[in-house]
Amino acid sequence: MTEQKSPLQSNGAAQVDASADAKAGAVPQKSRTLWGDAWKRLRRNKLAMIGLIWIIIMVVIALSADLWVPHVLGNPTQADSSTMLANSRLAPSLEHPFGTDTLGRDVLSRVIYGARVSLAVGVLATAISTAIGLVLGALAAFYGGIWDTIIMRCADIFMAFPYTLFVIAMIAVLGNGIQNVFIAIGILGWPSIARVFRSAILTVKENDYVDAARAMGASDARIIARHIFPNSVASIVVYATMNVGGAILTESALSFLGMGVVPPDPSWGNLIEDGQKYLATQPWLMLMPGLAILTTVLAFTLLGDGLRDALDVKMKDA
Amino acid sequence: MLKYILKRVLQFIPVFLGVTIILFAMENIVPGDPIKLMAGEKKLDPQTEINLRASFHLIQTDADGNPIYDENGDTIETPMWERCALYVNGLLHGDLGISYQRKGQAVADILGAKYPYTFKLAVVAIVLEAVVGIGAGLVSAIKRYSFWDVFVTLTTSILVAMPAFWLGMLLQLFFGVYLKDWTGGAFYLPISADFSPSAVFDEGMYYILPAITLASVSTAYAARIMRSQLLEVMNQDYIRTARAKGLSGRQVIWRHALKNAMIPVVTYIGNDFGAMMAGAILTETVFNWPGVGYETYRAINQRDWPIVLGSVTVIVILVMVINLLVDISYAFLDPRIRYGAPKDEA
Repeated sequence: MTEQKSPLQSNGAAQVDASADAKAGAVPQKSRTLWGDAWKRLRRNKLAMIGLIWIIIMVVIALSADLWVPHVLGNPTQADSSTMLANSRLAPSLEHPFGTDTLGRDVLSRVIYGARVSLAVGVLATAISTAIGLVLGALAAFYGGIWDTIIMRCADIFMAFPYTLFVIAMIAVLGNGIQNVFIAIGILGWPSIARVFRSAILTVKENDYVDAARAMGASDARIIARHIFPNSVASIVVYATMNVGGAILTESALSFLGMGVVPPDPSWGNLIEDGQKYLATQPWLMLMPGLAILTTVLAFTLLGDGLRDALDVKMKDA
Repeated sequence: MLKYILKRVLQFIPVFLGVTIILFAMENIVPGDPIKLMAGEKKLDPQTEINLRASFHLIQTDADGNPIYDENGDTIETPMWERCALYVNGLLHGDLGISYQRKGQAVADILGAKYPYTFKLAVVAIVLEAVVGIGAGLVSAIKRYSFWDVFVTLTTSILVAMPAFWLGMLLQLFFGVYLKDWTGGAFYLPISADFSPSAVFDEGMYYILPAITLASVSTAYAARIMRSQLLEVMNQDYIRTARAKGLSGRQVIWRHALKNAMIPVVTYIGNDFGAMMAGAILTETVFNWPGVGYETYRAINQRDWPIVLGSVTVIVILVMVINLLVDISYAFLDPRIRYGAPKDEA
């Protein structure tokens, strides 16, 4: 059949076509899911894949740090007093790829341990913001009326604060320390997530299938969990990915001001603060941790952009 | 229009009260007694301490300002809501209160001394942001997919991912250290430098690097918004009509597209100016800039809550006034927008 209709096609191609048709007829085609499709599109986005790979590399290095960093590069927090003077602020070399700090500690090892802090803050703070934002956004959008007014006015109040000052005041209230950084950044991040989720729900809620579910007697909780959440989760995933980068930047700013991770524990922010003193003479001390922040935040942004395109999310306010 | 403005102002009141209540709640929880901190290492005489507490309304007083004692002879702590009410009352009379740590200085005077620096820096930064942001966005939209477009996209992505304080240090390193012979080291303000504000900050040179640092992130966003807006507007029917009339590409862009594409960018830059009036703690820290942001940061650390309250109050009001002005100017830029008309009441 095919051969007669299109004489220009070579025999081989026609046969392939025919066999493909036969296959499709015999075996039911693999079902396509939203996430499967999105992953296919994401894989074709080079920048997003670079971001994803960089994030994976950072996570693997950060998680495995205890196994090899102290043996290869030296202890990141404790200085060896016998070699301290000789090793103080050495320029980058093979032995110390990022150089050493004033106390003779290897800067690369400190940057690696700083990655643990930054990634943990990025992910945990985002998780806290997202959890609060999801619940409040859902309440506001689903129940509307007085709930909507109260929650959205609260969001306005939180957004009215100058952000950096608010985080700093929050840390002053909670006290220094890494767990309070999670909490402060996490708590203050909810309004934007709540807004994104609220508008996502308001859009989804208008669909007929929600009315249909309700007509069939589904409870509010079931409608939210089975119909609304799966249909608005894409925008949340995109927003949360972008938010991780923001949380990492905020943590670095807090540590830079001396309000986050307390030395001798390293974090990218306090490494930069430490390096600032030697800006004119040993610039690598502030360059390396800064590059670590830049590349990691960039990786999350690229991945977020890629996810947005792959999942076809329209970002309104962000 | 008047109705719209009135509505916005009324909407602002609960937000403002909420901010004040949160700040008072924070002061209540924050560790460290400000009156004890005032004395430092010294032990305060009990009567002096009581008088000090009375003067800051931390304990209840009678009409003459003398502390009231309960039946056990103890002073009575003023409840939070009452101090909140006192503060708002003072505010309505233009009184921001007195600093705890700067002996007897009015918060209004302290902030008044810092605001000129914040304001001047914000003006330089916003001009930079408007010129560079809009310019870069235009170039990358008009020459879409060209080298410049890729360059702008790449640069904006990097600027957004960079801690601004780190960018400030990079600029210091580049202009102040590597190009020292050329710039005379004028850009380089080491953190330990001891200088008097009047001597240094009158020199225009010193505005350049802090302004670039302060404007960096928002310039990147402004460029992106400009690019996407212009590309969107260029797809619209009236642009096709203009082209069909035989106008040149340049005329289409300058006479027809730009006006509409500019509106969101102008809004963004306007709102950003409001945000900059909050001062920039990080930029100010890196460049030793004597602005409002750093002052507030120091006040938080010193538990000097009247300064924190006063500064946040001023910031919140300024931001709200500037945002309102931006929204009003919308109506003039875009005749399609009519505030207060029954249809648009959202």
